[in-house]
Amino acid sequence: MKKTKIRIDVTKCGDKGGIDPRECVKCLKVCDPCVFLMHAVIGAKEEDPYDPQVWRITAVWPSVCMRCMKCVEDCPEQAISVKW
Amino acid sequence: MCRWCTKHGAGKKWYMNSKNYHADQISTEDSMRSYLEEQFMNMENLFIRKIKGFSSVGLGYKMKMPIIGRILRKAAEGMIHSEKEHRNATRADGHFGQAIPLEDAQLIMSELAAEPIIENYCLCRFMQRGTKESCCINFGVLSEVIEKLPRYIPKDRVVRIDRETAMERLEEHNKKGYIASVWFQPIPYINAICSCESPECGGLRLRTSFDLHAFYKAEYIIQLSQDNCQGCKQCVSMCQFSALRYIPSQNRVIVDYDKCFGCGVCRHACKHDALKLIPREEFPGWDGTY
Repeated sequence: MKKTKIRIDVTKCGDKGGIDPRECVKCLKVCDPCVFLMHAVIGAKEEDPYDPQVWRITAVWPSVCMRCMKCVEDCPEQAISVKW
Repeated sequence: MCRWCTKHGAGKKWYMNSKNYHADQISTEDSMRSYLEEQFMNMENLFIRKIKGFSSVGLGYKMKMPIIGRILRKAAEGMIHSEKEHRNATRADGHFGQAIPLEDAQLIMSELAAEPIIENYCLCRFMQRGTKESCCINFGVLSEVIEKLPRYIPKDRVVRIDRETAMERLEEHNKKGYIASVWFQPIPYINAICSCESPECGGLRLRTSFDLHAFYKAEYIIQLSQDNCQGCKQCVSMCQFSALRYIPSQNRVIVDYDKCFGCGVCRHACKHDALKLIPREEFPGWDGTY
């Protein structure tokens, strides 16, 4: 069976010009098996290392993705692509 | 009793050994504090960090690869259970937990947990669901570490709580269906009781999706009295492990004893006294695994 390949465009959601994922978190909420994780960007320039402000969402567990495509439909920035 | 009990329990269950609750009886408070600070400052990116070129992204696929998959699994289990001198805090080495019933959790809070005790937002739920749920109880040196991280501190309430409040909160969470869990971080230091959901909890995710032992079954297992069960089905929706199933033709609930983690949360739903926890060793068919 082919692997599910899930990408989030960081220019739409994330630190390369996209929205701050903490303000939205729709994909985290809508994904039943929790494929996505929200995390601070490693190596980002932070004013206060105890309170990181640069965040991204990554599809960390694509193997549990059931390909329902709800994340793709519900993302307000249309930042998610799910392929197999 | 599991191998952690044998190794770190001094004759009792590992989480009943009072020594494990005191940083200064294991190493020094300062070294524990700095380890935990390094672990928690960026714990959300634990799974995306590369170690020797490999990260946990797509772990399910990676562990299915021939040969490399087995090496990865062994390496991951090694890191999770590491008691080495130079273990890695940013990978949360030596961090794993076990399901406990509410009674054990409350006993820990009343007699074993070291003050200060705090309740803060659960990191795992923030990371995997984007929600801020104040249900993680931390104590000992970890309290001071968490208090330095604004994103985990609830703003609408007092963060430091006393033992009685902690016990009450644990009961609230347990009745909601959250699994009480006690954690080594790092082994053998115990400083957290969380109220978990699967797969929101990082440890439960690793165990239920990839069979990595970041989370262990409790020292107990459920016992369902066929005589008392009325087939109301209320317990079925409480079980996060799908260990309970209603059989319409029998009008009763059956248990999948391989799936049962012994958390005891189902008991809160039963109004007919049909569910009881027994020590896991007393289950005749138990294969010895946790």
